[in-house]
Amino acid sequence: MAVTESSYSTGSSEDVIIETHDVSVYFEMDRGTSKVLDDVSLDIYREEILGIVGESGSGKSMFASALLDAVVAPGKTSGDILYHDADGSTIDVLSLNQEELRAFRWEKVSMVFQGAMDSFNPTLRIKGHFIETLKAHDFDVDEGLERATDLLAQVYLDPDRVLSSYPHELSGGMKQRVLIALSLLLDPDVLVMDEPTAALDLLMQRSILRLLENLQQRYDLTVLFITHDLPLVAELSDRVAVLYAFQFVEVGPVSELLERSSHPYTRALLNAVPTLQTPLSDMEPIEGSSPDPINVPTGCSYHPRCPLADERCIGEEPPFYATEHDDHQTKCFHWEDAISEIPLAHHKSTTGSSQIVEGKQSEEPVLTLDNLCVHFENNNSFLGLFGESQTVFAVDEIDLDLYENDILAIVGESGCGKTTLGKASIALQRPTSGEVQYRGDDIWAVKDGRSESDRSYSAIRRALQIIHQDPGSSLNPNQKILRTLESPIKHWKSDMSQTDRRSQIYGLLEYVGLTPAEEYAQRYPHQLSGGEKQRVALTRALLMNPEVILADEAVSALDVSLRVEMMDMMISLQNMFDTSYIFISHDLANARYFAGSVGGRIAVMYLGEIVEIGPAEEVIQNPKHPYTKVLKWSTAELDSDASQEELPLRNIDIPDPVNPPSGCRFHTRCPEARTECRVNSPKLEATDDGDGIEAHQVACFLDKPRDHPYWSSDQLVSEDNPTLVE
Amino acid sequence: MSTPEATSEQDETLESLFEGYTPEEQTLLDKIQTFLYESVYSPFLIMWVDWRTRVGLMILLGFVLMGTVGPRVVERTYVNHGPYTQPWFQSMDHPLGTDRIGHDILSLTVHATPAMLEMVAGGAIFAVVVATLVGTVSGYTGGKIDFVLTTFTDIALNIPGLPLIIVLAAIFEPERAFLVGILLTINAWAGLARAIRSQVLTIRQEAYVEASFTLDMPLSYIVRRDILPNLMPYILMNLMEMARHVIFASVALYFLGILPFTTHNWGIMLNEAYQHQAHTRLDLFYWMAVPIIVIGLISVGLILVAQGMDRVFNPRVRARFDQSKETSTEVDNV
Ligand code: SF4
Ligand code: SF4
Repeated sequence: MAVTESSYSTGSSEDVIIETHDVSVYFEMDRGTSKVLDDVSLDIYREEILGIVGESGSGKSMFASALLDAVVAPGKTSGDILYHDADGSTIDVLSLNQEELRAFRWEKVSMVFQGAMDSFNPTLRIKGHFIETLKAHDFDVDEGLERATDLLAQVYLDPDRVLSSYPHELSGGMKQRVLIALSLLLDPDVLVMDEPTAALDLLMQRSILRLLENLQQRYDLTVLFITHDLPLVAELSDRVAVLYAFQFVEVGPVSELLERSSHPYTRALLNAVPTLQTPLSDMEPIEGSSPDPINVPTGCSYHPRCPLADERCIGEEPPFYATEHDDHQTKCFHWEDAISEIPLAHHKSTTGSSQIVEGKQSEEPVLTLDNLCVHFENNNSFLGLFGESQTVFAVDEIDLDLYENDILAIVGESGCGKTTLGKASIALQRPTSGEVQYRGDDIWAVKDGRSESDRSYSAIRRALQIIHQDPGSSLNPNQKILRTLESPIKHWKSDMSQTDRRSQIYGLLEYVGLTPAEEYAQRYPHQLSGGEKQRVALTRALLMNPEVILADEAVSALDVSLRVEMMDMMISLQNMFDTSYIFISHDLANARYFAGSVGGRIAVMYLGEIVEIGPAEEVIQNPKHPYTKVLKWSTAELDSDASQEELPLRNIDIPDPVNPPSGCRFHTRCPEARTECRVNSPKLEATDDGDGIEAHQVACFLDKPRDHPYWSSDQLVSEDNPTLVE
Repeated sequence: MSTPEATSEQDETLESLFEGYTPEEQTLLDKIQTFLYESVYSPFLIMWVDWRTRVGLMILLGFVLMGTVGPRVVERTYVNHGPYTQPWFQSMDHPLGTDRIGHDILSLTVHATPAMLEMVAGGAIFAVVVATLVGTVSGYTGGKIDFVLTTFTDIALNIPGLPLIIVLAAIFEPERAFLVGILLTINAWAGLARAIRSQVLTIRQEAYVEASFTLDMPLSYIVRRDILPNLMPYILMNLMEMARHVIFASVALYFLGILPFTTHNWGIMLNEAYQHQAHTRLDLFYWMAVPIIVIGLISVGLILVAQGMDRVFNPRVRARFDQSKETSTEVDNV
């Protein structure tokens, strides 16, 4: 049933917009030729949404660059890339000259790059960016600006306000949407997006995907969406192509891929992703790591990690096989077995059943937050003379207890104050008012010497540790791992012999999976991958036997497939070291996985306040607050015909925390808001749905009995953004 | 609090974690060897790979020899030591020629070197140390200390340098060469201090600095390990820059006659040549050329070393160096 040797082809060709044949991208290096894209062939259909999925370092960005002949030197591109224009002419992309290429890139195929949010010129208003682009391509400026206004409205932005802003005045999500509008300005037929949403939080990612769908229909676009996040594209795409080790391994319609994927790698990817429905015990990380371009395994490149691999896989490269579905092809000898041998976790979904796992938390809190507030003075006036200073209400009146062996996941959008709350809890941020107590002692009183307690500040300091979000800056780039880990022990346990010290470090490194430990210890941070750096950061946090570790988006920068593994490791270390975690995330599914495995809690934060808190599984399966429901909506489901419901929000941008809305802070976006919500603010109180779970608390009038004034007040309509609900 | 049993249980699991690893105990000798290897030998080799450092170091080494051994080898010159204004390359006795009153120019140049080096070292080290101290402390601590130090820096920065030096030179009449050096950089450190402060402010935001802070590592550790290594290439480059600054400034000020003529100096040589119209008379050209060439050479040496130094602090280069060592020892073993 093999179709062709190692290449993927389709039956029909008339509706193909971009054809690629044997495209390779390679770099000549001292160590040999490094092929970062290896003879791939794929046809892209007109007006489809094609998702391209791969781990970091699988060559997916190279594929995008190759399509536009934009591979940066010294990389070279070979093969054929043909673009079929709507008028029937064909363009050979790789043979275009500089001038033709420049026009092709904006007018036929345009691209939104990863990290392109930083590519705005900070001294130029957004309008200037649009005008520059129009002028550079000899387009009529007035007509173009009209189109820009239309496009900006399509991406839920206020065109007039945005056009006259400077880039720094916009949030990350807004900038990304401006970029999408900008890339569509010259009416291209194809839009290529390389991880366009990776730096944004989940809610914004989902909102952008939703509007992308509208744009695609309105402007008859062909969209190529490149990401490491399979569930994210699954919902949006018509077809998905999976890239592994610089080659496509499976291509097919999205429903096929989700329900009957037949490549072991795709199935493993599906099982590695935390979702809200998959039983926790069925998620498993993919063992091993993806190969280096210099050293791709022989035969099937996936064989070192594949549970079905046999002799043939090692010696021979598999061709593409067609499955029962015409358009679904797989590069695996044993694709028929894969379906039966590797069951998909999301097929066994257990929606609705909320079982509460008992954790082994103690009664006595380790940390107590008492009416905690953190306000920042945002003083951008000159010498305090002109303009008034503004107060940012980052964290407002929070009461919270954290117990021994506890896990508390704090979930919310960027800008909701979750990081500030986390840092204030571990005494890295001094509160404006209120107290943080460590086993009953006010930490800041101890630090300032105002406390009678005989506990030293230093001991408290060391008991509260942190793992940062960005693996790139979490380790000192100038010293070897060994030195980074050894120095704290040397300083605090100076009586420990060098032998003991090192054996402790090597033991820990080995435990977090960095083997051989002695070799890893001799490396510099730049020689480690993102995931490996995070493990070293975890090891460092554990050196002092801490009571609480703040994990600030500690897995968000990692590939989806590595997150489960990292979280598993953190949980298993909890048992060994008796630590509690405060886990900050914008992703409800990660929070559920992390907190749910040990009976922890989830707290949902919005604009400095906790709006819902409760046992993880209870909050996920039985959310009470409209905002929690929105977050739940934003978490992609691995279900092809899943919810096509409208965006359950009246406004997709979070308001400025400088002037938080009156009453319930969520009322400007809440779909359930009534006039009462604008006036009074609800308190965080136990839910009264009679299920007896005391710990589940929510701050919303919806949860109040029928005689509450909320129910008799009028529904708020969204007069200020009519574009949103069409 | 955890119960005693729980703790012992925990210790056991921890213990089992560390089993199987018994790194060899290092003797004092080993430690010294590791230290020498990591801090002296390998940085030197890494630097040496770069031709710029090789050439630069050779030039600077030449000057150091000239300043230490030179005066012992080359006889001190005196009036009527040779014929008057003999051009260079005419006789073996006076290879670089003589001046108006028969001083041997080679000897003048060599005997000016020790004082010159002392002055350069004094000035450059003073400025860089003060700048680094002020910049790091004010950048890291912030608050009131920062305010005081920044104000102080700004004042130093805004006093015009030349008049200040002239006034101070008139008041103190410094004679020791290193005091002259310090005088010459009396406010040159301020600009550097500001630049360092702003860099420290950036580095302070890095997650790993916060991590050291949560581990309650002492301030000295954070500054030494987390902050300074990032600034080292910059600081060293400025050290070399500052050295050049001292040389040029001293030459200029001696040339203008602002500093008291107490020691031999290349600037004084230039001044005398100029007094006798060497810049307009082709036959006296050599008199002016010698100090100019010497000054140019030491300046080039400093620039080259500064450029090559960059490599030592680049972890990528160091890592590659480690790897190449490993593979080469592996090959040796085979
Ligand atoms: S060809 Fe073999 S090794 Fe490759 S994915 Fe299929 S079963 Fe696994
Ligand atoms: S109180 Fe009103 S605005 Fe706030 S979440 Fe509940 S329904 Fe929405």
